[in-house]
Amino acid sequence: MAANVISASRLTLAYDNGRKEIIKNATFNIRRGEFIFITGPSGSGKSTLLKSFYGALRHTEGDLMVGGLDMGRISKGRLQELRAHLGIIFQDYKLINEWTVEKNVVLPLIIAGYGLDIQQTQAKKLLKHVKLSEQANMYPLELSGGEQQRVGVARALSKNPFLILADEPTGNLDEYSSNVIWDLMENACDQLGATVVVVTHRIPTIFNIPYRHLIIENRGIYEVH
Amino acid sequence: MKSIKEHMMFILPLMAILLGMEFFLVFNRVTRNYEEKLKENYSILVVTSRPVRSSVIEKVDRRIVNVKSIKKEEIAKEIVDGLSQKGVEEILEAIPFFYTLNLSSYLNREEINKIAQKLLNYPVVKKVETFGESHRSKYNLFLFLKIIFWSFVSLMSMISIFLIVKQMEVWQMAHQERMKIMEIFGAPMMLRSGVLFRIAITDAVIATLLSVGFFIFLKYYWIPKSGIEFLIEKTDMLFGFLDVVVLLIVVLTIVVSAVFIVTLGNRESVE
Repeated sequence: MAANVISASRLTLAYDNGRKEIIKNATFNIRRGEFIFITGPSGSGKSTLLKSFYGALRHTEGDLMVGGLDMGRISKGRLQELRAHLGIIFQDYKLINEWTVEKNVVLPLIIAGYGLDIQQTQAKKLLKHVKLSEQANMYPLELSGGEQQRVGVARALSKNPFLILADEPTGNLDEYSSNVIWDLMENACDQLGATVVVVTHRIPTIFNIPYRHLIIENRGIYEVH
Repeated sequence: MKSIKEHMMFILPLMAILLGMEFFLVFNRVTRNYEEKLKENYSILVVTSRPVRSSVIEKVDRRIVNVKSIKKEEIAKEIVDGLSQKGVEEILEAIPFFYTLNLSSYLNREEINKIAQKLLNYPVVKKVETFGESHRSKYNLFLFLKIIFWSFVSLMSMISIFLIVKQMEVWQMAHQERMKIMEIFGAPMMLRSGVLFRIAITDAVIATLLSVGFFIFLKYYWIPKSGIEFLIEKTDMLFGFLDVVVLLIVVLTIVVSAVFIVTLGNRESVE
């Protein structure tokens, strides 16, 4: 795989058939195995940018490559394949409330068609990792916000993704729960070698390591040094 | 309670289609049976000036079958009583040759006239008589009822399919969040819609079982006690094992199509 997991050149993202531009002429790269923050004020287009990384929004101009795939020309089948290799974490968790915690965690494995035994082994391992082994048979709505987000992180890690995209992952959590989530995500980067892209309105204070930081301002994307 | 109501909203239109379909199959069988009987009773009489081989008459039209010659003695039997041998011979000499023939299917008046005309085109054929006109009005009534019935079943099916699709949309809305999440994680359409297929197929099987149960009740319990002679005589035409297979295929086709209509109408939400 190329050194850059995500590569954007003169990228323009817009809604309303190109009438409402959110990002304009942005050029940036995200390298394999790095932990990177993308920040910006509310409404600046952080989530929009993240959507374009997993193909929920097609760019109107420029080029965008994710995992070596041209997102402007990607077929439906290839997009499904790409998504199956991503780990995505949302601010509102996006868990399936009718499914148990364990089943939620192995959703990517279910989609990939893994057998029940592999699903159970992986679920056990991941739930232990996020300290939710006791809650395996509970349903998401029986858990606290912090616990639900840990399920979300476990789900994102279940298929050893090469890229983890996190959209305001601690936006709804208290400080303690947020710190647990950040730890888990740092571990994913350090131990699993996954590239982690975090979109957030501000970088949490616990991060004293100088991670790369992109900022969205006036429709442009700039690197903060 | 809400869930039962939603399932009933799906099962009832399916049952309406299945009952309509089964009644139509029964009606079709009754009509076909009546047609067969008419066909057996229906014959054409051909009068020729000299003897003709039955194969020659059969060649006139492929629908002509079972050509039989009527013996002159049989025709003259009533009028030759008391006549001398010579007189009888003269009468037999004067009588033309008679043939009866059947048709392979029950035809309308226009088609029969065409066959009669084809026969008359042969120089040896003097006269062609067709019978069975008295059955025609009854048969036409059957055909009319069949068309009315078919139209009614079609209309009812269309309304039912509309209701089925609407209910499917309600379920799709109810499971939209789950389907959306699965879509984000790369699930193909068939897997995302798995929940809809499961509900639809389960309800389709329930609707088929209820409809089959209704007809079994009619056939084995209600009709024998009803005292309606016509129905009692035709019980065997009412419901058969093959009908279960037909109904199941129809209902599964409808629900699977409904799921596809709804899911394809709400495809991948790439902005």
